[in-house]
Amino acid sequence: MRAAVLNLPREDAATKVNATLGMVFFIGSWAMAFGAIFLSFLVLRQRVGVWPPEGIALPSFPMAAVATAVLLASSALLHLAVKREESDQPGIQPLWIAGLGLGVGFAALQGWLWMDLMGAGRLPTSGLYESLFYGLTWIHAVHVVIGLLSLVWASVGLKTGRYGSHRLSTVSNIAIFWHFVDVVWIVLFLGFFVF
Amino acid sequence: MSGDHIHPEPTSFLSKYVFSHDHKVIAKQFMWFGLIWLGIGGIMAMMIRWQLANPGMPVPAIGEFLFPRTNGVLDPATYNTLFTMHGTIMIFLGLTPLMIGAFGNWCIPLMIGARDMIFPLLNMLSFWTVFVGGCVGFYSLFVPMGANEAGWTSYATLSTTVGAQGLGETLWAVAVFLIGASSIMGGINYMTTIIRLRAPGMTWGKLPLTVWALFLTSVLNVLFIPVIGSAMILLFLDRAVGTSFFTPASLMQGGGGGDPILYQHLFWIFGHPEVYILILPAWGFVCDLLSFFARKPAFGYRASVGAMTAVTVLSAVVYGHHMFTTGLSPMLGESFMLLTMIISVPAEILFFNWLHTLWKGNLRLEVPMLWAIGVIFVFGLGGLTGIYLATIGTDIFLHDTYFVVGHFHLTMAASALFGTFGALTFWFPKMFGRRMNQTLGKIHFWGTIVPLTFVFCLMFAMGYAGMPRRYFDHTSAEWLADLQHMNKMATHAAFLLGAVQLVFVYNFIKSRFWGPVAEENPWEVGTLDWSMPTPVPYYNFKEIPTVHTGPHEFSHPALGEDRDWIPMTEKLPT
Repeated sequence: MRAAVLNLPREDAATKVNATLGMVFFIGSWAMAFGAIFLSFLVLRQRVGVWPPEGIALPSFPMAAVATAVLLASSALLHLAVKREESDQPGIQPLWIAGLGLGVGFAALQGWLWMDLMGAGRLPTSGLYESLFYGLTWIHAVHVVIGLLSLVWASVGLKTGRYGSHRLSTVSNIAIFWHFVDVVWIVLFLGFFVF
Repeated sequence: MSGDHIHPEPTSFLSKYVFSHDHKVIAKQFMWFGLIWLGIGGIMAMMIRWQLANPGMPVPAIGEFLFPRTNGVLDPATYNTLFTMHGTIMIFLGLTPLMIGAFGNWCIPLMIGARDMIFPLLNMLSFWTVFVGGCVGFYSLFVPMGANEAGWTSYATLSTTVGAQGLGETLWAVAVFLIGASSIMGGINYMTTIIRLRAPGMTWGKLPLTVWALFLTSVLNVLFIPVIGSAMILLFLDRAVGTSFFTPASLMQGGGGGDPILYQHLFWIFGHPEVYILILPAWGFVCDLLSFFARKPAFGYRASVGAMTAVTVLSAVVYGHHMFTTGLSPMLGESFMLLTMIISVPAEILFFNWLHTLWKGNLRLEVPMLWAIGVIFVFGLGGLTGIYLATIGTDIFLHDTYFVVGHFHLTMAASALFGTFGALTFWFPKMFGRRMNQTLGKIHFWGTIVPLTFVFCLMFAMGYAGMPRRYFDHTSAEWLADLQHMNKMATHAAFLLGAVQLVFVYNFIKSRFWGPVAEENPWEVGTLDWSMPTPVPYYNFKEIPTVHTGPHEFSHPALGEDRDWIPMTEKLPT
């Protein structure tokens, strides 16, 4: 993998490091943003009293578990795609498109979770549990949408060969962002459905 | 993407001056933007002072125009808006764009020997994001029910729908979020640039201290601005959607019930690093300027770097001292008190280094040097009074009084402002190729520092006597009536302070367009930014320079008689 990077002209290896470093700082920054959100979650969860609340409709655990599995699989496919790109193997596109497809699947399941809960009469204004569930998943969903748009943008770019020497850093940065979205969802899943 | 290529120079007006990727143009955009907001925030301060000295009297000159409904008299809501927006504007739209936006952009690539920022497109987006944020903030002044009235801290529940029904508060949250996003973009860019694009030989131990300070500021920006971003999102959801993150159960109709103190935690986790975000660049300017104008190496370079790094780390763990009166657990309170006391130790080290840099120096009291010495003075006053606010026993008495107002205006506002003036007057000849008038500069300096010290020292006395912050009309409280003459004195001094700023505006604009043409290195310093021709070419360095000496090698015995400085690109003669 390293050898393939170093085979590129020197500027491109440096560009890859620059781009990855910038992305790492960006993710660090966003981790602080979600850290603040998780801190709020932990503080406010104490206020709910019984967690999860009893006697009211809750978001569906099985559906959330399926959504988690779908998102994890999507991340794994993108990881494999980037591995291929790093070692100069062809065939990144099918993996990329499949990862994108699973990402869309996650978004659909997330939408279903919201519709289901709203159908049961639990609205964002209903109480603190609902504030937390809708608020936090909305914030996460914004990142899912940004991630999906970048994935679509990159798949178009991969097809047209637009990136040239920036191809690897573009692909790997978008994958890093998607893994981050994945990790945030896992924390949310653990917080709302497991613990 | 990378800043080490020579890009072709843009030719159209839009790509050259508006949507430019060139860090030097972006620096100037940030500079004009920040200066305009500094002026708006300053006018707001003058109106606040007018109300404090003459409650119920129509504001002279501009009152009839701004508040026709009340015939120029400030009503309580307008007064609340003024102090809220004064704070927000000065911090987020005045000082941050000037120090970090303008001088971060100007200094970093030129001082480390790079052709541009590492992500020029991100750099451009950073400016236009803060610009949109500024526009949203400005628009919020004109919506029905007025702008934010909850103070620059906007504590819940003053800031949730319980305390503020209007659109102004919501727009304020949006504006702060956008401005924060801009700072994060800048911070990522600065950090990556400094790590990756230093010229050969420009080791971390040879970086000018300005660059070190901007690096550490960027670290804080990248780590802590997101926290207020999250707080603003939650506040926005509470206001726009009706969630209950920050509204207690007793105030909610229907279900819910969140925690207003949580907002304070989130705000101050960001808010305390923010004061260091503002002061670190000023410290960096001072470290360098003192050495440049004392014609001596910066005393204790490594200790200064270590001290600034220690402050950066500690700034993350002291925020609780803003919350001593919220019913914080006493053990937590004492921990925060101890940590706050500890942060004064690295600050003292810097102070010691500054004084030692001056000691037996061949002082050139040019205008930038005066501002640098001014920072030492006002930061010293502000820092000393911080001890009283860090101590729980005294803070509980002084909390939310004018003592606090005096303290943070001297430490964070005046020091940062003086640092900005130092930087503006210092880099002006390289930025614009012209020189500012020295006499007017000195009048501006003395006309600023004397009334400014007077105003804020009076505030210590008034606060100690118990005058609370943010009261609309102190004279309505009998026990504050005796302080009114001090309020009047402070207002007169503040008006003088405000008037003297016009000297700066005149000098700045006149020198920008009609000043005498400056030499390429008028201050005779060796850092890379001054090794360049004026105006600096589009790609900065045709050949990336190789660095051999440190940034502060002044009056070195090996240099001989004819000059007391050496460019960083030359080797010291042996």
